Amino acid sequence: MKRGKVLFLIFLVFILLTGCNAAPPTSGEKGEAKDEKLSWNNKKDLKGEEITLLWVNTDGENGPRGKILKEFTKDTGIKVKEIAVDYNSLYNKITTAVLSNSADIDLAEMDTIWAGQFMEGNIAYDLADSVPKDVQKKYTQSSLSSVMYKDHLVAVPFFSSTKHFYWNKELLAKAGYNAPPKTWEEFREMSKKLTKNGVYGSAWSWKQAEGLNCDFVSLVYGFGGKFFDENGTPVFNKGGGLKALQFMVDLTQKDKTVDPASMQWSEDDVKNAFATGKIAMMTNWEGMYPDLNDPSKSKVINKTDVGLMPGNGDVESAAVTGSEGISLMKDSKHKQAALQFLKWMSTKNFQLPMFEEDGMYPTLEGLYDDPDLKAADKTKTVDKIMKQFQYGQNRPNAPGYVEWADILSAEIHEALLGKKSPEDALNTAAKSIEKAIEEAK
Amino acid sequence: MGRSIGKIVNPRFMGRKQRKDLLFAVVLLLPTFYILFKTFLFPIYQSLVWSMYKYHMLDGSDVVFVGFGNFIALFKNHDFWTATYFTGYFTVISTVAELVLGLFSALLLNQMFRGRVFFRMIIIIPWAMLTLVNGLLWKWIFQPGNGSFTIILKKIHVLSASENPLWLADAHNIINSVVVADVWKMTPFMTLLLLAGLQAIPSSLYEAAMMDGAGFWKKLWYVTIPQLFPILMIAVVLRTIAAFRVYDILTVFTGDPTTSISYLTFNKAFRYFYLGEASAMAWVSTAIILVFIVLYIRLLKKNSHEV
Repeated sequence: MKRGKVLFLIFLVFILLTGCNAAPPTSGEKGEAKDEKLSWNNKKDLKGEEITLLWVNTDGENGPRGKILKEFTKDTGIKVKEIAVDYNSLYNKITTAVLSNSADIDLAEMDTIWAGQFMEGNIAYDLADSVPKDVQKKYTQSSLSSVMYKDHLVAVPFFSSTKHFYWNKELLAKAGYNAPPKTWEEFREMSKKLTKNGVYGSAWSWKQAEGLNCDFVSLVYGFGGKFFDENGTPVFNKGGGLKALQFMVDLTQKDKTVDPASMQWSEDDVKNAFATGKIAMMTNWEGMYPDLNDPSKSKVINKTDVGLMPGNGDVESAAVTGSEGISLMKDSKHKQAALQFLKWMSTKNFQLPMFEEDGMYPTLEGLYDDPDLKAADKTKTVDKIMKQFQYGQNRPNAPGYVEWADILSAEIHEALLGKKSPEDALNTAAKSIEKAIEEAK
Repeated sequence: MGRSIGKIVNPRFMGRKQRKDLLFAVVLLLPTFYILFKTFLFPIYQSLVWSMYKYHMLDGSDVVFVGFGNFIALFKNHDFWTATYFTGYFTVISTVAELVLGLFSALLLNQMFRGRVFFRMIIIIPWAMLTLVNGLLWKWIFQPGNGSFTIILKKIHVLSASENPLWLADAHNIINSVVVADVWKMTPFMTLLLLAGLQAIPSSLYEAAMMDGAGFWKKLWYVTIPQLFPILMIAVVLRTIAAFRVYDILTVFTGDPTTSISYLTFNKAFRYFYLGEASAMAWVSTAIILVFIVLYIRLLKKNSHEV
């Protein structure tokens, strides 16, 4: 018993020694360190400095992303230490570093929906004054807007992305169609004809996760609705939003033209199913080619095509955006060298090879007319992909979005499984999200 | 020298040299203690403090002291109760299934037969596998349509040809699927524990039972289970504690955090960064696990007295 008392005493002493800072920091203590002035057109010699970059790279240092880093070092003399992760680990890697007050990471890949958290949570350095206005104008509107939060530039655009519409030409031809659907109503009718002999009209990434929200957003705008209004209030439970979910439920419950496995699939699963030739149509991100034409991964070589997402009524097309940026970490000790990387990233030296070897779409407007890019486009898909970018629709990037998105995907999933009516599900989601917004104030 | 360090002796009755030794030992222990304190004890204490605050780390809102507000909100939260229900369901079903299967495979492996060593070795493989890898493997098996789980169930006529259940879509199905995957992985753990227990049972007991004309079931019921009981209890408590924290395999199967308390806590803490609420939730589940840990320690003590 005595030993217990001694230990308890030691514990108490330690708590007293360190205990004062066990309470969470209040806003005043959060450390508004004075930011050094960074210059885009740096003249200082930065040779020999080393920066650490955290990004998605599953191909190793000899893959396309690894190779490009060596090019950067050759051009500028700045060394890059790469922390390569897969997309699903990215967010946790960044936030763990932030929680532990680590300054190890200088640059980190940022998905568009994290922008609010990165800014309000003091993770990223605001680049609004560091990237000159005329440089900002060179990015495509959609890629720039996806890295902005309020007036802050949370990251430099890294690649452009939206969802696209893919179809299997052979299956469509067999059912008597020589063109993809232009409207979602056409899509529904075609799906009915296409679903037979083990083939499904379409497959989707409708596992209860962000992929489900992405498809929902595309459809909400496709049916002329809105996701959130200008004040940041959810309005997806009215008009086009409700029509969109009703449409999704009709496809799965009434028509049964959607591969039922869609309820537990993410984007990659859908791509794999599409590659087996049993799925006639799908929506997915870029980067489907060259894999869909690779004999070791696909049974639909040269049988597929990509084009605009269908619309409805006045809406010609609409697709959710998934563009990303690279953020400069607020705690970085090598900000100037890291900014040099962001500058170099915004040139053809970076964007062209990334397109050619990694299938990533440039963020520089001017590059899309570049003859070199056209020459690098072996599948002749650039123009089709580019066209969709004009119909891109952003998800909100307020700090609470990650939570709202979880609420929404849970409710939509319930409706798709037939446990709730679409109206009920969306109203519940809107109410819960409004409550979450209120509580976060 | 080492004599006095092993046990704490009242310093008043120590010689000078002994006291010096003790001091030396304390000095040597301090760095370890400091690191353990900073990385282990302090965060526990800190989370208790945080559980009294509204602390949204990443949305720029103010930090507010709310007392027990987080706990009260938690008990009113529908998601929390759903998660508790599923966690309890998973814990009970998987532990019972593993216990029964583990007992019979332990009995089997306790017999003399050719290749016994081989089977004792390979049974460890599922247990040695990373939970996440196990999850990916089972996610593949649980694909609807052409997944092997569906195909096998159809072959043995549990499912009719026209049925095609979605194993990983609805929360109830997900939990049952996780039970299957977990039983496959963790039964070997049970088996090994119980096998060790079985080997400690003296064979004279069985011989005596056989003299009295006991068959397999009677021997099992009157000799094996009573003799095995202490270790059986320990195995159950250990599995219960571990099963209650189920989390990683669920992240592979679903994005639905209400399928387990740990998943819900993780989301609150490391996706939304509502650290106050997450701390409160972690403390509630710790309290539940603590009950089992106390039980476990009691059993251990009781066992050591018996031996």
